[in-house]
Amino acid sequence: MRFVKSRRVAWTTLLAVTLGAALAACGGGGSDAGQELSKEPVTLRFTWWGSDARHKRTQQVIELFQKKYPNITVKGEFKEWNGYWDSLATTVAANDAPDIIQMDELYIASYAERGALLDLGTAKKHLETNDFDPAALQTGQIDGKQYAIPVGLSSYSMVVNEDLLKEYGVAMPDDNTWTWQDLKAAGAQVSKASGGKVTGVQSWGFNDAGGLNIWARQAGASLYDDKGNVSIPPSVLANYWTYLADLAKEGIAPPPSVTIERASAGLDQSGTATNTSAFATWWNTQLTSLTAASGKKLKLLKLPGEAQAKSPGAYYKPSMYWSVSSRSKHPAEAALFVNYLANSEEAANVLLTDRGVPANKKIRTAIAGQLKETDKAAAGYLDAIKVGPAPRVTPKGASGIEAILKRHTEQVLFGRLTPDAAAASFIKELQSEIDAAK
Amino acid sequence: MSALGEMRRLGSSAQKGKKDNKAAFFFLLPWFAGLLFITVGPVAASLVLGFTEYNLIQPPEFNGVDNFTRMLDDTRLHHALGVTFKYVAVSVPLQLACALGLALLLDKGLRGLAFYRSAFYLPSLLGSSVAIAVLWRQIFGAEGLINQVLAFAGIQGRGWISDPDTALSTLIVLNVWTFGAPMIIFLAGLRQIPEMYYEAAATDGAGRWTQFWRITLPLLSPIIFFNLVLQIIHAFQSFTQAFVVSGGTGGPSDSTLFYTLYLYQRGFNNFDMGYASALAWLLLVIIAAFTAINFWAAKHWVFYDD
Repeated sequence: MRFVKSRRVAWTTLLAVTLGAALAACGGGGSDAGQELSKEPVTLRFTWWGSDARHKRTQQVIELFQKKYPNITVKGEFKEWNGYWDSLATTVAANDAPDIIQMDELYIASYAERGALLDLGTAKKHLETNDFDPAALQTGQIDGKQYAIPVGLSSYSMVVNEDLLKEYGVAMPDDNTWTWQDLKAAGAQVSKASGGKVTGVQSWGFNDAGGLNIWARQAGASLYDDKGNVSIPPSVLANYWTYLADLAKEGIAPPPSVTIERASAGLDQSGTATNTSAFATWWNTQLTSLTAASGKKLKLLKLPGEAQAKSPGAYYKPSMYWSVSSRSKHPAEAALFVNYLANSEEAANVLLTDRGVPANKKIRTAIAGQLKETDKAAAGYLDAIKVGPAPRVTPKGASGIEAILKRHTEQVLFGRLTPDAAAASFIKELQSEIDAAK
Repeated sequence: MSALGEMRRLGSSAQKGKKDNKAAFFFLLPWFAGLLFITVGPVAASLVLGFTEYNLIQPPEFNGVDNFTRMLDDTRLHHALGVTFKYVAVSVPLQLACALGLALLLDKGLRGLAFYRSAFYLPSLLGSSVAIAVLWRQIFGAEGLINQVLAFAGIQGRGWISDPDTALSTLIVLNVWTFGAPMIIFLAGLRQIPEMYYEAAATDGAGRWTQFWRITLPLLSPIIFFNLVLQIIHAFQSFTQAFVVSGGTGGPSDSTLFYTLYLYQRGFNNFDMGYASALAWLLLVIIAAFTAINFWAAKHWVFYDD
């Protein structure tokens, strides 16, 4: 009897301890972001994803900031894209989120609507936003609250390898008028002239939802409606996959398994970087990295189909955002640091366009003189294209869209699903993720 | 005589015995603490979370058995179960067969046995590591070692890992390759079989095959059973290899979506920790069921000498 009793006591205690710990993790809450800056030593944690080059530049900016505010120490935590989101989710759950968080459009609603991000409107005292384009600022707002400050702008583009076109005697298409059929035709010429050594087009649809957004917008539709439900018509989606599947079937794009292998290997292994594909879709700001990797002359073209589109497919996408954890113990200092990142010329001179062409207009002009040829081309591209209003931010629950898109694209390319079946399945799955998060 | 006296003295002083117990518990304390906070605590928490909706950011909310009814309609879960069953059903028997075969060879008293034993055991130590999974990706890639060897023979290879028809097979090969641990256990088991059985059988004119079939296998059956149970449990829990080889996606086109990988995706990519916790408990039930079936079936084929 004694044994039974004590065992029960042990189990209850255990459960209580565990639940207590879990609840403690969920509680908490930061102090006021509008208060005066502390004179005491303060340590902030700042997390971002990116390449080695970005880590070096960011570390430099941190050192400049610390020189200016000697009582504030900023500890950088950086990761690559995939690991970044896994670790952010766990640290937020453990009530151990970094104070300053580099945020992406895919996840902003998922975090903000669940109360993980600070409303930066409460930190106006330390954080200026006057030099930002209102339309750009708006992309960081949810329900009228400014949860994030856009860092840089980028837009989807078609990167073409001029040297390859010359080598195979293919004429440069006129990107003011070209259609998706023109892209196919030019790509086919390259594939044929090279004897298969170089494919005309690098398949896309893997790494981000940008291409799908553009495709939907050109058809006069959108991926999500205003309420955040999936609204892309199945036929538009099916056309998208039919086009991709045809590219692979006709040898204009590499075979599916090569495409999949490259997609998971990153930018340096891509067809553009290795000079094995003449045309490929990329964000315009990736031109510098791509050129460095390929060593050839690359050029940004406007997207095909824009001249015939029902509405412009192109739009300005914030390449990323700065946000502050709602549970930061030092929200005022964190806002001050974001202010430094977003508004200081000193910082901008180091960061340049690594995170996109700055969304802060004053900064954009200030650094214009220091840009490399490719960075200038990327900045110029933004001015050259005609854009429509930015699509709605990715709804809460839909942050996994890229994984879902990737899987369905694979199934279409390997012939396991028809484009029509894939379209129905994709819409159903994405919508159910959104519903589950409501 | 003196030893007996010592024992008597020990037995008579119960006081001292209790003291010894206390000391033992004290020294075990770090282990108990680890067990409580790192294993038992989270396990209990996951059971509770299995009945909640928990998005990692907001506090969990109880939702009854919703998570479990949801499993019935979850087609990706059903697919993940299929992939996992296929993996277990193919890789475990192959792995054990390799382990047994090698153990029989090494048991013949090869020169430099210690070296071979270590060499064959090495993959077991490395097999579930990230480094090996990365290496695997290179070996089976479109321009990897396998295809280069095939190219020598004039055979056109393919992207083994990026093709949904072959991706799972590469993971099965990886698991089979880590046959070292069961092999060592088989070797120990083979050493236990008395040499005289074989001598007697040889005198009676039994060939090698008959000896293997009539002596080795029956006497080794408890060891086979032990390895089988262990490796099935192990295979059900495989995660690292698929995670690294597919870049965390379970692709291409979900062909390597192990159960644990799907669970991980639900929890950490989809902020669906309540459901993921429920999935963890389903896996526990599945493994327990398979182990129970194994023990039941063992009655019919495992032979205990004593």
